[in-house]
Amino acid sequence: MERDYDLKGMDARIRELRKTAEEVRELAQGIEAVTRNADRLLASVKMMELNLCDLAEVAL
Amino acid sequence: MARENSAYWNPILETLPRERLQALQLKKFARIFEWAYTNSPFYRQLYKSAGIEPGDLKTLDDIRKVPKIDKGMLRDVQSRAPFPYGDILAVPLSQVTEFRQTSGTTGTPVYQADTWQDWEWWAECWAYILYAQGYRDTDRLFLPFGYNIFVAFWACHYGAEKLGCEVVPGGVLDTEARIMKMKELHCTAFGATPTYVLGMADTARKIGIDPRGIGIQRITCAGEPGASIPTTKQRIEDAWGAKVYDHIGATEIGAWSYSCTHQRGLHVNEAFFLVEIEDTETGEIIEEPGRNGKMVITAFDRIGKPCIRFDSKDVIRWADYSCECGRTFRIIDGGVVGRADDITKVKGVLLAPTAIEEVVRSFDELSDEYEVIVTKKGDIDDIALKIELKPGMEDLKESILARLKDELRVKTNLGYKIEVHPAGSLPRYEVKAKRFKDMRKH
Repeated sequence: MERDYDLKGMDARIRELRKTAEEVRELAQGIEAVTRNADRLLASVKMMELNLCDLAEVAL
Repeated sequence: MARENSAYWNPILETLPRERLQALQLKKFARIFEWAYTNSPFYRQLYKSAGIEPGDLKTLDDIRKVPKIDKGMLRDVQSRAPFPYGDILAVPLSQVTEFRQTSGTTGTPVYQADTWQDWEWWAECWAYILYAQGYRDTDRLFLPFGYNIFVAFWACHYGAEKLGCEVVPGGVLDTEARIMKMKELHCTAFGATPTYVLGMADTARKIGIDPRGIGIQRITCAGEPGASIPTTKQRIEDAWGAKVYDHIGATEIGAWSYSCTHQRGLHVNEAFFLVEIEDTETGEIIEEPGRNGKMVITAFDRIGKPCIRFDSKDVIRWADYSCECGRTFRIIDGGVVGRADDITKVKGVLLAPTAIEEVVRSFDELSDEYEVIVTKKGDIDDIALKIELKPGMEDLKESILARLKDELRVKTNLGYKIEVHPAGSLPRYEVKAKRFKDMRKH
């Protein structure tokens, strides 16, 4: 079933999500309303990494 | 294009070929090991003492070299500075957003710290469980538990929200009010300990509500082994007219195992946990089905207070069957069949309390409650079983007791002193029941 999905495509976009959230967090320069929500967003991104990206990194 | 994958929360991980799954497990074990080694003084000291460090784990067999932890060690560490968790945390205390503690059934409660990411992870684990049990965004799930310091169904609440269920928190309501609210709101599902699920059915009938008429379609049990004990599961399904599913989890571990809609054994979520079964005497790893051993478990992705090779004392066994659902995760047969520290010798015979429950719950003439008390008179063990006859069964008392004694003898190899108590007089429990009382330890 793994081959039925574009795992690499999803992996790449999830990495972009992480990068974007981390950049927003950095740009916020300590604005709590941004950094705390970015942290929550990153926790959700992590769940997608656990569900997909970890596997993409395991060689066939 | 959207696909219909109604059976799986994650169709990729849940059907992964074993070889791929094991490669993923090794990668994830090495990652949490390195995380704990780098960030947790407690784990680093433990691993340095054992002479093992990141980079040493090249195969799944290498994992056996990693020292185990147990509840006693978790209690010890939290008694040391810094307050309140000792030096086990792998994140700064400022990143901890959740406090829970164990119920203390086996001693001093263990404090559990989780970060927000850990809490997302708890919910994710529960999403796997609930989706496999048929929960969807059309469900209205009632959670009749005290929302407090025990993790209980907290993570179920968040996991159900994640998959789109409407969650009704039944917190401080009493049992009658909970039943009436479930009926009023046409709830489709609820979750509780098997003991409380049966107790709720009793209470519903007492207030003139047929539990089968409420419209509950599925019930998820946790906290006790009952939903994996066939006679108890059948009682619950008969009482509510609903399908009953089991789940196993623990505060220190996470939600690691679940039955699916096929109700055949419990799948271990092997993408998120590594379950090893050890022979209780020799420590040898058990791979073959059907042989009981104690579970050693690792949560791959819990970062605040990592759980790595935790000797849970839960006794489980691998199943010798697969499941029609298509998941490639291994299955444990019969749920947690006991605890290494619960399975005790009475009159020289090894006894698992679940065996008694299986017999008692197979008698329709008996109520749902019972109690077992083991005492010692001089050098001789004595075991008493307290039961309640259902109303109207008094005339059949002698024949029921004779059959019960025979059945217990066959299933447990022990003779019991049986005491019959009036219906409704034995203790009722809302969370974990304490029906097995070994007074020899006091």
